[in-house]
Amino acid sequence: MALEVETRPSENGVTVLAPTGRLDVAGAPALKYAIGEAVKNGPPKVVIDMEGVSFVDSTGLGSVISALKQIRGSQGELRLAAPNQQVRVVLELTTLDRVFPYYATVEEALTGF
Amino acid sequence: MGTGHRRFEFHATFSGLDEGLDILHDSVDRLRRATGRGPDDRALMLFETALGEIGSNVLTHGKPAGTERPVEYTLRLDGHGVVASLTDSGPRVHEHLSREMPGHEHEDGRGLAMARSLLDELGYERDGEVNRWKLVKRL
Repeated sequence: MALEVETRPSENGVTVLAPTGRLDVAGAPALKYAIGEAVKNGPPKVVIDMEGVSFVDSTGLGSVISALKQIRGSQGELRLAAPNQQVRVVLELTTLDRVFPYYATVEEALTGF
Repeated sequence: MGTGHRRFEFHATFSGLDEGLDILHDSVDRLRRATGRGPDDRALMLFETALGEIGSNVLTHGKPAGTERPVEYTLRLDGHGVVASLTDSGPRVHEHLSREMPGHEHEDGRGLAMARSLLDELGYERDGEVNRWKLVKRL
């Protein structure tokens, strides 16, 4: 099941990336590509809407860490929104929830961004 | 919930990354349906996460160039939980088994540490020219 990533520019200059499918070793390159395009084409304020991500593995998580480095390197900010239970468990297990504070919804993530 | 009254066994062989990952996740979905467990069942969710880690390692590192031998996979219930077995013909991996969880800045190297944390047993043995993995999670 290939990961598909929809890019949605928001009104306040934040780019919302909405991947759908498994963010795993097979899907991670698609997210990396979308992040690269978002940073190249617009302001480096990015929300990843995780609602459509059914499963994440350590390689998928690595792609999010890569995104964070890339965006912070451009003086930007990255927020995660709407992760499912499996994604939250993986973030907590790896203690990466301390690095990626996540928001219940995209709307919450966009507030004050 | 005990599993002793249920029977479930699934076998597959595969070689491609996408194909293999699809089969692994599909097998866990079949197990959910066979045992009446929902998508939010925590024990099976933790097991599937560990299976994804070991499976992706096997599928990316377990097929040396020139080797056509597919990965052999079995998923079954026993009296206490779920057991998965994977056999691949990649290089031995002993030196990676005890790897600790890397720091936040690292983009890779978490898979085996995650699998160890999520499972009740993660077994590995080198048997001649193949690697044999055993994943056990009590349900």
